[in-house]
Amino acid sequence: MSEPKKVSRRQFLNYTLTGLGGFMAAGMMAPMVRFAIDPVFKPAAAGDFHSVADVKEVTNEPQRFEWEVEQVDAWYESTIQKTAWVYRKEDDEIIALSPICTHLGCTVDWASNEEYPKQFFCPCHGGRYTKDGVNVPGTPPTAPLPVFETKVEDGMLYLGEEIAR
Amino acid sequence: MMKWAKKDLEQFVKEKEYIDTLFIPLIPIHTSIDEKMTGSGFQAELTNLFSRIIEEQFRGRIVLAPDYYYIAGNAEAEVDRVNNWIDSFTEKPFSYVFLFSFDRNWRKSESDLRGELLWFPGLRHGDLQSTETQSFVKEQAKEIVEIIKESWQT
Ligand code: FES
Repeated sequence: MSEPKKVSRRQFLNYTLTGLGGFMAAGMMAPMVRFAIDPVFKPAAAGDFHSVADVKEVTNEPQRFEWEVEQVDAWYESTIQKTAWVYRKEDDEIIALSPICTHLGCTVDWASNEEYPKQFFCPCHGGRYTKDGVNVPGTPPTAPLPVFETKVEDGMLYLGEEIAR
Repeated sequence: MMKWAKKDLEQFVKEKEYIDTLFIPLIPIHTSIDEKMTGSGFQAELTNLFSRIIEEQFRGRIVLAPDYYYIAGNAEAEVDRVNNWIDSFTEKPFSYVFLFSFDRNWRKSESDLRGELLWFPGLRHGDLQSTETQSFVKEQAKEIVEIIKESWQT
C-alpha cells in the first residue's frame, strides 16, 4: 500500500484556519471533512522516528538524551521534550529506556542513589530498576520501564515508539 | 507533579498516600508601569516553565497548585491568604509545601509562611526561546530539583 501523502501540521493548520468559515456554514459537510482529515495525523504519529544522538556518543553507561516532538491535541499544538536513558549492551545492542517511573510517573535517574550505584532510582518513592529497566521487586513499581524502538541510520540513533513491557 | 486538572486530580485522589507534597507558584503582576507590566509577563511565563519542569520530574509525588497571582509590591499583605491556601487542604494535609517565586519581597515574610520558600532571582527581561534563557532555566531547575529531593530525605 502506498503511504498517504503527508500534509505538514503547519499546512494543516492553515487549511483549517482558512477553512473555518466554510466548516461553520456547511455543518453538513463537517463529518466528511473530519473523515478526510483524520488519516493525515495518524501515520505521522505512529512509527515516527526522531534523531536523538550520534551513535558514537552511546557508551556502556546509561546516558540521558533529549529531543523534542510536536504534539497536537484537540486544542493546542505544543512542543514537548522527550528523554531516554540510552546505553550499549555488551553485545553492542543499543537500549533506550523511558525515564518515566511505572509507579506514578516521576522521572528516574541512573545511579543517583549511593546505595544502588548500578540501578535506576526513582526519587519519589524509592522505586528501583536494574540496568535493563526491570523493576526491582519490593519497590513500588510493578512493571519494567518501557523501551523505545531504536534504529541506526548513517551513524545516527533514531528512537521511535515507546513500548510498555 | 500533578496539575490542577481533572485527570491528574483524579489520580491524586486515588493515590493520596503517595502524594505528600504541594507546590504553589507565587506570581506577582505589575499593572501600573508599562515596562514593569511587560517584565511581569515575562516572569510569569518563566515561572510556568519551572512549574512544568518540576511537574515532569515529580509528577508522582507533588501536586501543582494553580498559580497564585497577586498585585506586586505588597507580598507581606498576602501571607495570610497564602497560608489559607495551604491550610485549606484539610482532608489530608501535605507533609511538604513549596512556594516558588521570583519576587524578592517574600523573603521578608519567609518565617511567617507555612511552607518552604523557593526564591530565585529571575531574569528581568529576555526571550523565552533564547539559549541564554534556556540554560538559565535548566541550571535553576536542577537546583530546585535537588532542594526538593533533599527535603524529602530529611
Ligand atoms: S513514582 Fe517512582 S516510585 Fe513512585
